[in-house]
Amino acid sequence: MKKKMLAVILSMTMAAALLGGCGNEQKESSAAKEPAATEQPAPQADDPQAAKEPEEAGDNASSEENKPASGLVEGDFTIGISQFAQHGSLDNCREGFLTGLAEEGFIEGENLTVEYQNAEADMGIVNQIPQGFVSNKVDLICAIATPAAQSAYNAAMNSGIPVIYTAVNDPVGAELAKEDGMPVGEVTGTSDKLPVDAQLKMIRELLPDAKKIGIMYTTSEVNSESTIAEYEAAVGQYGFELVTTGINTTADAPLAADNLLSKVDCLNNLTDNTVVSALPTILDKANTQKIPVFGSEVEQVKIGCLASEGIDYYQLGIKTGKMAAQVLKGEKKASEIKMETITGSELYLNTKVADDLGISLPDDVKSRASETFTEIQMAE
Amino acid sequence: MGIILGVLEQGLIFGIMALGVYITYKILDFPDLTVDGSFPLGAAMSALLITHGVNPYLTLLISFAAGVLAGICTGLIHVKLKVRDLLSGIIMMTALYTINMVVAGKANVPLFSKETIFDNSFINNIFTGEMANFKTLIIVLILALACKFLLDAYLKTKSGFLLRAAGDNDVLVTSLAKDKGLVKIVGLAIANGLVALGGSVMAQQQRYFDISMGTGTIVIGLASVIIGISLLRGLTFLRSTTTVLIGSILYKACVAIALAKFPPTYMKLITAVLFLIILVISMQLKKKVKTND
Amino acid sequence: MIELKQIHKYYNPGTINEMCLFDNFDLTVRDGEFVSVVGSNGSGKTSLLNIICGSIRIERGQILMNGRDITREKEYKRMSHIGRVYQNPAMGTCPTMTILENMSLADNKGKLYLLGKGTDKKRKEYYRDQLSLLNLGLEDKLDVKVGSLSGGQRQAMALLMSTMTPIEFLILDEHTAALDPKTADTIMELTDKIVKEKNLTTIMVTHNLRFAVDYGNRLLMMHQGASVLDKSGSEKDRTQVDEILKLFNEISIECGN
Repeated sequence: MKKKMLAVILSMTMAAALLGGCGNEQKESSAAKEPAATEQPAPQADDPQAAKEPEEAGDNASSEENKPASGLVEGDFTIGISQFAQHGSLDNCREGFLTGLAEEGFIEGENLTVEYQNAEADMGIVNQIPQGFVSNKVDLICAIATPAAQSAYNAAMNSGIPVIYTAVNDPVGAELAKEDGMPVGEVTGTSDKLPVDAQLKMIRELLPDAKKIGIMYTTSEVNSESTIAEYEAAVGQYGFELVTTGINTTADAPLAADNLLSKVDCLNNLTDNTVVSALPTILDKANTQKIPVFGSEVEQVKIGCLASEGIDYYQLGIKTGKMAAQVLKGEKKASEIKMETITGSELYLNTKVADDLGISLPDDVKSRASETFTEIQMAE
Repeated sequence: MGIILGVLEQGLIFGIMALGVYITYKILDFPDLTVDGSFPLGAAMSALLITHGVNPYLTLLISFAAGVLAGICTGLIHVKLKVRDLLSGIIMMTALYTINMVVAGKANVPLFSKETIFDNSFINNIFTGEMANFKTLIIVLILALACKFLLDAYLKTKSGFLLRAAGDNDVLVTSLAKDKGLVKIVGLAIANGLVALGGSVMAQQQRYFDISMGTGTIVIGLASVIIGISLLRGLTFLRSTTTVLIGSILYKACVAIALAKFPPTYMKLITAVLFLIILVISMQLKKKVKTND
Repeated sequence: MIELKQIHKYYNPGTINEMCLFDNFDLTVRDGEFVSVVGSNGSGKTSLLNIICGSIRIERGQILMNGRDITREKEYKRMSHIGRVYQNPAMGTCPTMTILENMSLADNKGKLYLLGKGTDKKRKEYYRDQLSLLNLGLEDKLDVKVGSLSGGQRQAMALLMSTMTPIEFLILDEHTAALDPKTADTIMELTDKIVKEKNLTTIMVTHNLRFAVDYGNRLLMMHQGASVLDKSGSEKDRTQVDEILKLFNEISIECGN
């Protein structure tokens, strides 16, 4: 009887794995194909990657064609990409990374072979992936998100294979970089630290009377904890009070949202994976109470957050790709490159959400926005 | 070569954990979900102690003890409060999430700059040159075999006999004037001790603790036990504990194949299919054995 | 001596299915008695054994063992004085353990089960001697798993195991019912031998009226939670199977079956 029950649990887990597999695939393809509804007309380009990120083409001349300035780098290179989970921001990071490499003369399919693996947030597997890369003797490992970076560094430590990470919120806390930002070994990369001050400033501009900001976070995500600490330190400056609620799983989100919404004037969302997954529910609840929700990156604004002063993960990826190119070319060793944090931020607005909430957006904010959405994209 | 090394390392580390699951699932017939919490408990314990400068080998023992306590709690909830077995495990697993967080202090604790059982001056002096590649495997192998032989030895003691009897026929335990509830508690304690020990080794091998590292432990443990026991049933000269270790390695090999040969999105599906194939093959083998009789 | 005083036992108390089994039931089993208990299904025979052993709780009443009140004592504690053999041969042995391991397990009853070696080589000869008394050839199969033995072989082992260590009381719960007639005879003879040798106070529930008449020194017939016949000593010796069968039939007709 008990064994039978266990068998049921086991098969349910397998079925979940099956469904999860399908769901993720769908998400990936739609993220890649569906053009975002933007006010800026998307420039027509031959390169599919340029078409996908239209704002790119305008302000960055060198990336316009995605063609290397100095031609292909001689040789055959193999890199392994270990991504922690399927996630809009992390996917953007990966695409940006490959673009960054391409700009420096490493083009996938020509002189670059890319082995891409995704751990689907499974801690057992996130360990096994870089071990495979090391045994295949790749030239470089790119690790996306903190656990992937830690595992990759651990696996590659004695092999001499450099590790370039991205989307690691706190590389110093994760013991991947020293206090001064220099690497602890053949490992370096970029941090996706959120521009907390810019975000708070923007919220104050849009909501002059708001007093309390609510943040929901997952207790298991170390990135969220460190970001909250930053918010704690900064809110006073802008005249806000911070209210936080921790959850463990997406299943806790609806109750936590009800609780939080009863106490605050607006919600602020981090890049917390679990909370982002539950964002549609949270938005739904907030909308019925006419409480604005601020996002932390472009994807969240697309699906219904009012605005975000966030970082562009695609840009972060490009920056990381260029670091990787330096290492692959042999110009510098990974241990000689300082870890980087993106400076400045991009403002994303959603005017449809603003209309629904009855919030009028100041003109100077509107003109500052690097991208403005006029409709709410249905979240999958 | 490297990938085989990786599979063996991971397989044996999770094998230690699977030995614990073997006690509860196979010997005691108790579906114990505590392991999803006790595995990271061992890891959290080690992370805490190592960052405070405790000898890494000592942390193995302390982690084991922490797991024992977790197992005792599950046992007490089940035996004394009469909560159903499955539910007792779920309750403890849930409670341990918070306890792990408190023990470790935060959700992710890196150990890169610390000495571990795999990386300290003593070990590094023994394994030099080519041997350094096999350092982790050899240490893990020693630990896994030590656990296996100790468990084998325990199962041959009087207390071990009683444990086996409790899973087999608990009426007999009562007939022997022994409290079957107490025997179950002892079994759960040892099982979760082993699981926590596995977690401790895991954290030291991967060099960080992460709160989510326990998710799905029970699935890996059960898969290892079932693959091992059913596939290698025909090899009667192997002890069940040995087959559990081999089962764990096979499970990790399935994951490695899925990772290496298929697109990332399909990884879990492929792992599930490989798992299914192994089970079907083992059932076919069983049929053959039967018709041969 | 086992004394049951004013036992009340209800099944499903407080529900529509409430059923009163024992109402003011008294029974005294004196030292050295071998009581055979017969009766139709549902007459309370097995419940009687369960009450004595503590497998089920009673609503009211008192159970005394050698004058000591054990009404609230847990089942496993009572079992240190009691050996019990069940109807199902699988209940008395561990199928995945070998004969030797099963014997060793039983041999340790009453002592602590700690980290000492499970099987004692010195006792092996003793186990062999005991098993050879069964005439089943088990003495040569010490390393065979009990699960692969026949029901009769297992029941013989269960009997041996439950009486291996010093106990005072032996509870036999239809212990020959699942066996073929020849094996049942063998087991019954063995039971009688062990009871006499060890001078055990025994309660045997059985559906086999011939066994009930031929063995033991007291005969009890139960019906609807009460004893309708209780013969002991020379009175019991004179009792014939036909007589019991007649009374048994009368009761059964009364009940409509």
